[in-house]
Amino acid sequence: MKETLQKFFKMDRRWIFLVLAVVLFVPIMRPLGLPNKTISRDARNAFDYVDALKPGAFLLLSLDYDPSTRPELHPQAVAVIRHAFKKNLRIGVVTYIAGSTGLIEQIFETVPKDYGKVYGTDYVIFPYMANAAAVMTQMSSDFYGIYDKERNGKPVRDMPVMQGIKNYRDMALVVNITGTSILDWWVAFVGDKYNVPVVGGCTAISQPGYGPYLQTKQLKGLIGGMKGAAEYESLVKEPGKGTSGIDALNLAHLLVLALILTSNIILLIIKHL
Amino acid sequence: MKFIKKQIPLAIVMVTGLLMVASYYIPHKYSVDYVELMNKWENIVSAFAFLLGLVSLFYSHYGKIKRKADGWGYSLFVYIGFLAMVVPAMMTDGRQMVDGQVTSLGWSFRYIYNALSSTMFAVLAFYIVSTAYRSFRIKSRQAFVLFVAAFVLILGKVPLGQMIWDSLLGWTGQGVADIIEWIMQVPAVAGKRGIMIGIAIGAIVTSLKIIFGIEKQYMGKD
Amino acid sequence: MTKNKIKALIILLLTAGPVLAVAGGKAAPGTIDGFTAVDMPYDAGASVLLKWPVGPSDSADASYVVYGSSLAEGGWRKGEEFVATAKTCKDINLPFWAWDSGEAQHALKVELNTLFGDIPPGTPLKFKAQLLRKGSVEAESPAVDAASKSNWFRLDRLNNLLFLLVMIVIFFWAVSHAKRKGLFIRRIAGLDAIDEAIGRATEMGKPIFYVPGIGTMSSISTIASAFILGEVSKKVAQYDSDIKIPHYDPIVMTVCKEIVKQSYLEAGRPDSYREDMNFFVSADQFSYAASVDGMISREKPAACFFMGYFMAESLLLAEVGAASGAIQIAGTDIESQLPFFFTACDYTLIGEELYAAGAYLSKEPMLVSALKVQDFGKLVVMASVSLGIVLVSLGTKLHWDFFVRVILNLFKAY
Repeated sequence: MKETLQKFFKMDRRWIFLVLAVVLFVPIMRPLGLPNKTISRDARNAFDYVDALKPGAFLLLSLDYDPSTRPELHPQAVAVIRHAFKKNLRIGVVTYIAGSTGLIEQIFETVPKDYGKVYGTDYVIFPYMANAAAVMTQMSSDFYGIYDKERNGKPVRDMPVMQGIKNYRDMALVVNITGTSILDWWVAFVGDKYNVPVVGGCTAISQPGYGPYLQTKQLKGLIGGMKGAAEYESLVKEPGKGTSGIDALNLAHLLVLALILTSNIILLIIKHL
Repeated sequence: MKFIKKQIPLAIVMVTGLLMVASYYIPHKYSVDYVELMNKWENIVSAFAFLLGLVSLFYSHYGKIKRKADGWGYSLFVYIGFLAMVVPAMMTDGRQMVDGQVTSLGWSFRYIYNALSSTMFAVLAFYIVSTAYRSFRIKSRQAFVLFVAAFVLILGKVPLGQMIWDSLLGWTGQGVADIIEWIMQVPAVAGKRGIMIGIAIGAIVTSLKIIFGIEKQYMGKD
Repeated sequence: MTKNKIKALIILLLTAGPVLAVAGGKAAPGTIDGFTAVDMPYDAGASVLLKWPVGPSDSADASYVVYGSSLAEGGWRKGEEFVATAKTCKDINLPFWAWDSGEAQHALKVELNTLFGDIPPGTPLKFKAQLLRKGSVEAESPAVDAASKSNWFRLDRLNNLLFLLVMIVIFFWAVSHAKRKGLFIRRIAGLDAIDEAIGRATEMGKPIFYVPGIGTMSSISTIASAFILGEVSKKVAQYDSDIKIPHYDPIVMTVCKEIVKQSYLEAGRPDSYREDMNFFVSADQFSYAASVDGMISREKPAACFFMGYFMAESLLLAEVGAASGAIQIAGTDIESQLPFFFTACDYTLIGEELYAAGAYLSKEPMLVSALKVQDFGKLVVMASVSLGIVLVSLGTKLHWDFFVRVILNLFKAY
């Protein structure tokens, strides 16, 4: 009996992989429609901060994620952009991850059309830049010193969307959605240094790490993982990929719990045998 | 020779480092200009260093193919992958969309890079689940605390878990969201702060060691 | 009598005329006295500070508007408008040693870029303020001249500078008093296991993988990792084992090449050193992880070191390493990744242990002594936190506002 039970501990982990694959695959193919019951305080704060901005305010959106973290972060970005367009905010998009450029294109291919927004008047996309920390510092004195052209090489200084924008002081908010430490840099190099409010979006795995910044209000709000995206979508009332991923997320979490419980029950039985 | 290989680089490190530190306390335009100049240089050096990396990558894989080392076939994919992204990028001038049409670079990005990258990150989920199965076994008192915290967090992070909590433990009057918030805001933040402070002090001391030339291993031998 | 009456009437008309005229039309606005415009201290010259006394008529139903002009005549641009009871010296975020934060004066920092666009420091400017009530101007200040200038010192960061200077003094004291023996360093199991790992690799005739993570040379954990690599590669050279160091950042690779080369020289085995020990893999996080995972799976190394800056790839690397049966020693200061290393690796260095590792392994007296400075820094933080909590709580309880402000200002970053 003991030996049989101990086999569970030495089980080939690929069995666990298989179970997880099934648990994730089924609800993606056949959505169960489980509800997204609560909205976390941090996601609500993020929403409230964007919501309180006056129409015409300039929002600098730093989208720094590549396809790897796309399932979690892309819905967040879409939800924030939809919210900003609904509120008639101006958007400037920057990125410091080369892999983001294609994903940014994908968002702006469709979303602005839903709100009748025009490139150059309501939003602008800046080219990818390497060395984020250096660029962030440089933008503090003169935005156009680093971004004088948009991604296709057109000068931006005279675009209506950039009217009155010279540096961080003219921006109402910085929103950074990333799976990297670029969010820490926005907080340390820009938020703290130039008193610019920063809202973040991150992967679920890195969410706990931002607790101290949220407590000290260095981050005004945080959208965490796919659940955060679903929460933001429900606040904006625009259900999207985040909401549809909630089923898989629910079941996968419960599978982890079931596994942890099973292993401990087996451990307990072995101890008493 | 030692003067050129050791003293001069050390002097450059010290002067630029000290000026960078001073720029934090000097708001003058000269200081702002200096920081900007250094940032630009850093950008330029990174760009050239990337070229260096590319040469190293090609060189090491060329060596593997030439020697027919174990798994040399994979090295071919380095060149294939490189060409699959770089050639379309050159042809399209780095644009992924032109007049609403996806270019060949856009296609490579969406259907090759996108899929490969997502797969790698997705593998993480499988590893996390199997790691959780192994690591949350209650073998000591500390492990028990870890287990309870993890259990509550995992349960409360998803709506279905919250519903389970409410139906089983709703009578306690304590919402799982509140408990999670307490765990994340009090013990987790306290621990994180401690580590952050330690790291910041470590960073200051390491910087001083480099600026003042106490630690100069990175320069190699005379 | 009639003459007198006519005289009195004329005098009355003469004196009351203007008054009635004013009452019938608009009253001339009063004056805001004591309005000054000076350069904002401690900045790069991008703002001007406007100050004027708080008046008795400042109430919540009135507001102030400030105007600025860069022309000799006219050209007034409207600046900020705020409730007349707001914006006093107290609202300027500066510490007590650099700023008098009473509530007797209004203080407003005017960002010149916002008001005038691109304007160099030193440009002659004019400013004025108006007090508005119910849409009409109740009082106006005279126009005053001002020019901003680039300042040379951030007095508000004096606390920070003093802390740094104390750290530097202690740093030099510790380094100059470095002793060859006698400084105790707690045992770090992960580092003691390095010999075992390298020995195992030599016995098995298999390589060692040293993964420095995805940080750049500006990340302290990567720098620390490079120092550890120096010591590890020295041992590898002594044992005549094989080491492979895949890189994410080309600059880190260049630095590591120098370090490994030096270690081989110091170990007296320069002939065993090969240029391709350090090689670049990819500057993309998951391409890097995939490639290193592939190498580990194929080559089944005897030992894997994961030291430096790691993000989500930590578990991808460590799990594959564990599955391949290698001894694994990890170290990072990214606390969110530590749990993954704990579960998948044999030994894990936490945060500062990683920084101390270079000194611990090299036993270089100067480097070991520098650890003292780290300890001193932590002591200062611990004492400040404990004392700060007690003093601020006490001060708040007893309503010693200035005392509380002094304590809070002393420990705040500006």
